[in-house]
Amino acid sequence: MLRRYLAKRLVVAIPSLLIASLIVFTLPRLIPGDVVAMMLEEKAYAKDLEELRAKLGLNRPIYVQYFEWLGRAVQGDLGESLWTRRPVLEEIGQRLPITLELALLSLVVAIVIAVPVGVIAAARQDTAQDYIFRSTAILGLSVPGFWLATLVIVLPAIWWGWRPLTGYVEISKDVVGHILQMLLPAAILGVAFAAAMMRLTRGMLLEVLRQDYVRTAWSKGLRERVIILKHGLRNAIIPVITYIGTQLPQVIGGTVIIETIFGLPGMSRFLFDAINQRDYPVIQGVNLVVVSFIVLVNLVVDALYAVLDPRIRY
Amino acid sequence: MSLTRRELLIAGGLTAAGTVIAPSVARAQQPKRGGTMSLRLWDPPHFDLHAAGGLSYKLHILMTFTHSRLVRHKVGPSVVPGTFSIEPDLAESWTQPNETTYVFKLRRGVRWHAKAPANGRELTSDDVVYTYNRFINTKGHANAHMLKSVDKVEAVDKYTVRFTLKEPYAWFLETLASPMVVAIVNKEASEKYGDLKKWESFIGTGPWMLDSFRPNQGLTLVRNPNYFVQGLPYIDKVEIIVDEDNASRTASFLAGKFDLGWENPGTINRTDWVQIKDNALRRRPGLKTAEFPANVMSHISMRTDQKPFNDVRVRRAISHAIDRQGIIDAVAEGVGVTNPAVPAALKDWSIPISQLGEGAKYYKHDPAEAKKLLAAAGYANGFPGTVCFTTYGSTVLIDSMQLVLKNLKDVGIDAKLEQKEYGAYITSCFYGKFDAMTYGPQTPFVEPDSFLFGQYYPGEPRNQSHINDPVVADMLVRQRRTFDLAKRKEIIFEIQRYLAQQQYYVTTNSGVYVAVWDGALQNYGPNVGYDYGGRLMAAWLNR
Repeated sequence: MLRRYLAKRLVVAIPSLLIASLIVFTLPRLIPGDVVAMMLEEKAYAKDLEELRAKLGLNRPIYVQYFEWLGRAVQGDLGESLWTRRPVLEEIGQRLPITLELALLSLVVAIVIAVPVGVIAAARQDTAQDYIFRSTAILGLSVPGFWLATLVIVLPAIWWGWRPLTGYVEISKDVVGHILQMLLPAAILGVAFAAAMMRLTRGMLLEVLRQDYVRTAWSKGLRERVIILKHGLRNAIIPVITYIGTQLPQVIGGTVIIETIFGLPGMSRFLFDAINQRDYPVIQGVNLVVVSFIVLVNLVVDALYAVLDPRIRY
Repeated sequence: MSLTRRELLIAGGLTAAGTVIAPSVARAQQPKRGGTMSLRLWDPPHFDLHAAGGLSYKLHILMTFTHSRLVRHKVGPSVVPGTFSIEPDLAESWTQPNETTYVFKLRRGVRWHAKAPANGRELTSDDVVYTYNRFINTKGHANAHMLKSVDKVEAVDKYTVRFTLKEPYAWFLETLASPMVVAIVNKEASEKYGDLKKWESFIGTGPWMLDSFRPNQGLTLVRNPNYFVQGLPYIDKVEIIVDEDNASRTASFLAGKFDLGWENPGTINRTDWVQIKDNALRRRPGLKTAEFPANVMSHISMRTDQKPFNDVRVRRAISHAIDRQGIIDAVAEGVGVTNPAVPAALKDWSIPISQLGEGAKYYKHDPAEAKKLLAAAGYANGFPGTVCFTTYGSTVLIDSMQLVLKNLKDVGIDAKLEQKEYGAYITSCFYGKFDAMTYGPQTPFVEPDSFLFGQYYPGEPRNQSHINDPVVADMLVRQRRTFDLAKRKEIIFEIQRYLAQQQYYVTTNSGVYVAVWDGALQNYGPNVGYDYGGRLMAAWLNR
């Protein structure tokens, strides 16, 4: 059943992807200032502009360019960067893993902090522990990641003349260095994520703990640990999973500042530069990959529902 | 006086240490080979100087490490910042038989980097001809106009190149020496890769070779063992770090990870420097600094082809309205210079404000006089308008813009800020496509012709104020045809005096750079301009 449902969802995803492709193709071209003028920087003569537009094939009707790009994209060819002439897919292939790793690590950090803290806060409702956790969560939500990252970088330099690792360390060259380098940015990204997740976990768990079947479990004399984790958390976690599913793409989008501050050559930084340079194939390619990723994550989340709650059937 | 045994031993130890240290100090005065220096630069958009997008300073700076030019600017601690004299690079000598012919004799034995496909082949006149023809003829190469005076380039023999110009162009050698124009590129690499955009094709004859490129992270340059100047460079490796975040850069500098200031050209913004100076000097006691005016100049451009800016009284009123010293005090810690049409940084070519003659008075902040001039022009109540602007990511520029708007408002010009994203700004306002006014910085050239001809000659793309003044146009052409340096300088001064009266652009101020470099870096002399590689070529590390 689940397999059929997933297949159906994949088919439904095709029109979504087509609409997304049209949007990601059109929007960059609506930004004032085209790639040609950017390339010629501050020295563009009208003749040069026209010559270069023709050379890059940008003087053709936009629908021709769209269908040509779409035709190639369907075959897995996202074109070449207008600036570097390197294949977009190759560039994405080098950078996507870094951004994904950062996003997933931040997710792990968030889960590791948020779920236990949320559970403890719910189980000890209205105690000092609960108040401290909730206040800390509000602080975590309020502190912007870029500010925290800046402090983490600048203060040690001012106090001790030391700064965290700069430059990207590839995992194949130095496993420990690589992990150490990713931990700090992942932790900073994970903090805000954790704060919201902790509040959600606590809220959902409190709601579940007031259910009749939980009262029954208490009256049966089950241990608190079993009641909270087995009967409570398992039922409370579904909205949290949904939240993770919807937040993951946002985390990926939000890594641009963190990647810049920590010198990580990820996809967000790549997209940011491409937008500034009006590198249309790169903007289109990256966005298409992100949209596809979101569709995939949502599918996985739907599938997880069935695993977590046997009552859910597709 | 008597010494204990212990004191005697200590004294003896110190003496012994002195004898060990003294020769090493003496040796340290001699240039020393080796070491790695690291600096913050930028990711080049790609590596082809002649392809669209290759005009970036990011690539120009990088090429000063790896590529050579026919001639170059003199560098070193003895050079006064803001001055530029020409010396041989690939050309060992040159002659000018007549006003439109230059003949360059190339050094013999210059080798391309020992990398495929050049494989250390000897550079010949054919390479020079190839590069210049590529520069001039590549479609969509927006700098081609810089050599539009060139009629043909010929290889006379293996080591002789002749340039024939269509018309006299007194700035020709300056153009060839500029790091913003022509570095000699490798033909085999271009043929092998189809163009020179890939980093693997980045092969030159310069003092360092590109060893690796890590997009968004950095580049590594290693010493070229076959560099044509015997024994140079001294520094074995240059690590270039790409860091687009100012807080991160500041931290890196304090932690000793950059040997030069992180902003172009090896400087630190004064506002940042004031914040970190004490800490930086405490942590890095050997740090050296030098201060000199920046050649980045901002100005207000106006639609001088339209009302009300076609009236010189309005333009003069705007100039009077601007509180230049006030801007310097507010945004540049009180340290800056006021520029005539040629930035004050170019010491040999810029005329002091006090010597501008009649036009000097318009640089004085005088709102009352501004109002009088506006009234005389028929705008007693001022007028509304817009100022097109982009931030360039600079808080200093944003603050300056606010003050300019306030200054205009004070004399009745109700200027609304029309802020654009950088790309939108460059493609519209920078090219003169705006309604009333634009405010922003200009490309930091190192000779006056680019500032003057590019901005004041009719039809030039950077003529933002839409100027069509035959008097200026005539002087601009005349200075380009005047080879006598003193006479040319007088024409340049005359142009600045005339422009001070016309106020086609209301120039504001430039900051004063704070060049900062590590104490271990010897024989280094900072200057404006992109020639990082040149300035570091004869420098060495005393670590």
